[in-house]
Amino acid sequence: MSLKLGFIALTDCAPLVVAKERGLFEAEGLDVILSREASWANIRDKVASGALDGAHMLAPMALTGAVIAPLSLNANGSSITLSRPLAEQVRALGGDEAPAGAPRTAHALKRLIDRRAAAGERPLTFAVVFPFSIHAYLLRYWLADAGIDPDRDVRLTVVPPPRMAARMLAGEVDGFCVGAPWGAVTEAAGAGEIWAQGSRLWRGAPDKVLGLPAAFAERDPGAVQALLRALIRAAVWADEPGNREPLAEMLSRPAYVDAPVAALRRALVEPESFVLQFHGEDAGYPRRAHALWLLSQMRRWGQIDETVEVRRVAEQVYRPDLYLQAAEAVGAPARGPQLDAEPLQPMFDGRAFDPARFDDYLASFPLRRRPAPVQ
Amino acid sequence: MRVLVIDPDKARAALVAEGLAGVKPLEVRSAPSFEEVESAVDGFDVIVIACDSPDRDTLESLREQTAHNPRPVVMFVDRSAPGLAEAAVEAGVAAYVVDGLAAKRVRPVLEVALTRFQLMQKLRGDLAKAQADLAARKTIDRAKGLLMKERGLDEEAAYQLLRKLAMDSGRPLGAVAADLIAYANVLKGGS
Repeated sequence: MSLKLGFIALTDCAPLVVAKERGLFEAEGLDVILSREASWANIRDKVASGALDGAHMLAPMALTGAVIAPLSLNANGSSITLSRPLAEQVRALGGDEAPAGAPRTAHALKRLIDRRAAAGERPLTFAVVFPFSIHAYLLRYWLADAGIDPDRDVRLTVVPPPRMAARMLAGEVDGFCVGAPWGAVTEAAGAGEIWAQGSRLWRGAPDKVLGLPAAFAERDPGAVQALLRALIRAAVWADEPGNREPLAEMLSRPAYVDAPVAALRRALVEPESFVLQFHGEDAGYPRRAHALWLLSQMRRWGQIDETVEVRRVAEQVYRPDLYLQAAEAVGAPARGPQLDAEPLQPMFDGRAFDPARFDDYLASFPLRRRPAPVQ
Repeated sequence: MRVLVIDPDKARAALVAEGLAGVKPLEVRSAPSFEEVESAVDGFDVIVIACDSPDRDTLESLREQTAHNPRPVVMFVDRSAPGLAEAAVEAGVAAYVVDGLAAKRVRPVLEVALTRFQLMQKLRGDLAKAQADLAARKTIDRAKGLLMKERGLDEEAAYQLLRKLAMDSGRPLGAVAADLIAYANVLKGGS
């Protein structure tokens, strides 16, 4: 059976690339073409229209479309980067140096933003890769934690990942949150400094999923299982420490991420940021609690309103049942549905999301968009 | 109606703009990237954008920030023209409505853009095929020359031998000719 799968040039497309390069799709009788796409909007539209049979997809994007997510492709890997000049100014204001292992908060940045506003200077510009992305929610969370309103105190924009370094170098973007390797590429270009690792803000944060059209999954459950088996085997391979160097080389090729090996190594090999995971620590399990957390942030920032039935969406889109069936078939260690009842790992501010207390969690944030009053 | 065409491929942008000139009343402007026209977006009713442009995601983010929120046509055009949005995505073009224009008014714009993108795809495909045919013919000529020299055949006999090799192996004539040249190079000690 032949399938066309889309991906974006990011380190976390690794399971797709590994399955292709190591013949794992073929071993399942699948003839897979990987298609590098220029934008997330293309990924969404091509999956919706059937031009792609599935794709590397932002988890929040999957939650807004007629797709299912039977596999989480990775955990961790994103980072918040500040431009060189901004990093220096923030450092001069105290810098929020944190104890080892803890991330920097944005309190010094808040002081800088207040000064700039008082002096009548332009607001700082922060970029993410898509409005519905873990990068947008992590950046918003980090800013709001220090009292910075992401919709009023800064300008939020969207820049395609491979252009981040150039836009920062040109002074058009002061900070951004993006997936690997583009933070490292920007740092290597001398344009910015990785200021906070996503994995330190929230270890195990949900990121990309495999998005499949719901109709495809219903029509051909056998093909879905074959695809999942190949990708779970690929994820297990990619997590082996001994395979990380060849993985960095594989991903760096022009057909895939097309970035220097040194930049790819940052999130795959180097000990202090050895954090990108594809299978270990339940990274592959499509956890409904993650879906609910993402939906809580969509609600927090006014992207969805209260009419969206979050639990129903999480259950329709996230399909741990399909994941567990495939993981068992390939003998990959995977924890079961008890994961969905457990609260998530606390974030850097100490808050832990308990899926059973969705509304309380949302109400605990002083900074949030309140729903418009009912007419 | 004012239409903005964003396409890094200038030839294709010109083809789309030319096609749209026939849809009246219409004002068309094109730009290679969204950055160049960012400040002027509010002045347009419809944005036609090439799917190979990475600017699509930036355009989508405007939906959140401004009163003029561009909505992807693919999200609402379906009811009035089944399959059109899918065909457009397949051909590599997307459209956005900036200011609440009715689907039926946008449809002719998307239809023109779609046919022009398909036309460009066909022209490029034809060109690539013509170039490949030409390259194959040159290879076949070289292989013929080789056989004439090495086997003392005349041109017709050399050609017939090549054809027989191709038919016996079930492969295209150009591929068999290329192999023959490669083998001859190896035998001569070349690389």
